[in-house]
Amino acid sequence: MSLFTPLSWNDTGFILTGILNTIYISVLAISVGTVLGLMIGFIRSVSTQSINFVLGSILDVLRIVPLIIQLILFSTFVGIMGHPLPPFASGSIILSLYTMAFMTEVFRAGFDNVSKSMGIAARSLGMTYWQSMRYIVLPIGMKSVFPSWMGVALSVIKDSALVSVIGYMELLRTSEQLITRTQQPLEILLGVGLFYFIISYPLSTFGRYMEKKMAI
Amino acid sequence: MGDYEFHWLIVFQAFPQMLNGAFVTLHVAVFSMFSGIVFGVLLAIGKTSNLKIPKSIASSWVEVARNTPALFQIYMAYFGLGAFGIHLSPYMAVLCALTFVNSGYLTETFRGGLQTIPRTQYVASWSLGMTKFQAYRYIILPQMFRRVYYPMTNQFIWSILMSSLGILVGMGELSGETQRLQSLSYRTLEFFIIAAAMYYVMTKFVLYSADIMSRRLFKGEI
Amino acid sequence: MNFFKSILIAVAVTVLIGISHSASADKLDDVIKSGVLNCGVVADFPPMGFIDKNNEPAGFDVDYCKDLAKQMGVKVKVFNLTWGDRIPSLISGKTDVVVGSTSDTLERAKSVGFTYPYFVFKFQVISKKDSGINTFDDLKNVKVGAPLGTTYETEYLAYAKKKGWGKSNYTAFKSENDGYLALYQGKIDALISTNTNIAVKLATEEFKDYAAGPFVPNYDDVVGLIAKRSEVAWIQYLNLFLIHQIRDGRFDELHQKYFNSPASPSMIQSLRDNK
Repeated sequence: MSLFTPLSWNDTGFILTGILNTIYISVLAISVGTVLGLMIGFIRSVSTQSINFVLGSILDVLRIVPLIIQLILFSTFVGIMGHPLPPFASGSIILSLYTMAFMTEVFRAGFDNVSKSMGIAARSLGMTYWQSMRYIVLPIGMKSVFPSWMGVALSVIKDSALVSVIGYMELLRTSEQLITRTQQPLEILLGVGLFYFIISYPLSTFGRYMEKKMAI
Repeated sequence: MGDYEFHWLIVFQAFPQMLNGAFVTLHVAVFSMFSGIVFGVLLAIGKTSNLKIPKSIASSWVEVARNTPALFQIYMAYFGLGAFGIHLSPYMAVLCALTFVNSGYLTETFRGGLQTIPRTQYVASWSLGMTKFQAYRYIILPQMFRRVYYPMTNQFIWSILMSSLGILVGMGELSGETQRLQSLSYRTLEFFIIAAAMYYVMTKFVLYSADIMSRRLFKGEI
Repeated sequence: MNFFKSILIAVAVTVLIGISHSASADKLDDVIKSGVLNCGVVADFPPMGFIDKNNEPAGFDVDYCKDLAKQMGVKVKVFNLTWGDRIPSLISGKTDVVVGSTSDTLERAKSVGFTYPYFVFKFQVISKKDSGINTFDDLKNVKVGAPLGTTYETEYLAYAKKKGWGKSNYTAFKSENDGYLALYQGKIDALISTNTNIAVKLATEEFKDYAAGPFVPNYDDVVGLIAKRSEVAWIQYLNLFLIHQIRDGRFDELHQKYFNSPASPSMIQSLRDNK
């Protein structure tokens, strides 16, 4: 029985699975979070104060309780309710809701950015409410919030590393397991850091470029 | 609710230890924020300067801090540096990682703040006979801090929440302490519900006091 | 109308009986019916559980899972759990049993059901050969580490408190493996672990300069399998399984396989006596 074995080419597939799992859960959470955030952001921008208060308090909890604790609580809780979920399912549900909470504010700002008068102008051109939404409010409003959207999306990619605590074999947990087996933390950690950097750096640069372009 | 019975008594008995953990959370967040501000100001000045070396150090610091997960940085500070024989305690590792990230984000915030201050103000303060340092101290920085007050509040909240990653290097902040306590009795749900509530209260309290402070400091003009 | 109502009631009653009937089948029936045993292990505690070079869980505990499934005539599905995952996975029904070196404290037994003991560990100190740590009291002035929330951490902290050592020399780790990595890097001078894990580590090239030190005074770590507290019949079955493992010599065989030595007669006797 050999306890410690150095990194080898056999581990490529294992690492690749970790990388794919990270990408998979991030893309899923960002997509679901964006769609839900868009809907709730819209509801928040048109509804009355009392509804907003209720919605806001719920979203607050998602934003204010540390993600790591949300993950532990949720995966324990669904278990106790008698509906055990695999780490991937619990992880993507919580990560999506967490994303949604932030996206809601992003999109709400987008809807608020498009002034009321622009909507009224569109209506006076004979557009229906939904047409004005579809052709005026959404394109203009959404374009203006693109940089903030990108910011949230990037933080979700990074925060997806936390899903490792409930046992999902994403990149960080994969590398942790390899560190245990190889006792070579530095090499492995640097590789992991480089991966996140390669994904995140071009996107954040692009986001900032768009922000500058739109500011002009 | 299945056949799960909640046991709350044991959590209340352990409450003083959790409060202790919350205290550690708060002070690691405060320290990382202060040192983050110091480094952030230096880096922002470095980034806006025309000198090549400070500029490139500042940009790489900022990019690495912003584009890698905090969890990775904590591991790096703990086991990564350990490979070089640099041994930080869990507390120091978390403090360093949070400082590193905080300063990375604050640099951009400060730079944005600096850029909004018109060039003429520098010229005006020099023409009043102020030195460069005095101009920064009395004219530029106070205005900048006013503009970056809310982003800074958010960064502080972020520090409180992210210090929860201390659980992964065995640090005794609120999450780590909760993890320890729950493993003695396996009352995971009860303990973490209370921990979540404590984070909520702490964060709300910080937001509330930041709001009051801003009214005192800036009298509403931001 | 009344006719329909009575039919509805009849249907509802039938459904309810059906539900309550299926609910009365216990875990033992469930496992046999489903044909799969969901068995949790913790791959952070060699040689009881570790990750082999194919990145799959292996070890004494994994073999126990396989033996149990074989006795029941079902397939086995092994879950690699984190320490903290053990209880939620049971309560949620993701796992039927966890073979994970769980110390059977009375505090924990309020939350989860324990079987009879299946192994006994001793808590021991591991440190560099030249560290000069010969008695437990030598830990006073060195940097000591232990995994967070384990019984040996509790024991060490209680001992340190009694002696008035303070906490400044102590570091907790989220896992056994992190503790060994820290010892290997020199972050700490001494790690408190279990005698079995230490023996395995000392056999490796990486830990050849290290030695096993003093035992934690007056403490045996007795561990059991864990299952849902309410599944009494299932726990009863598991108890019998454990007795058979010893009676049939399988326990000894696995001990030989993973520790390169037969189990000590005193350990076998204490397991036979269920204490």
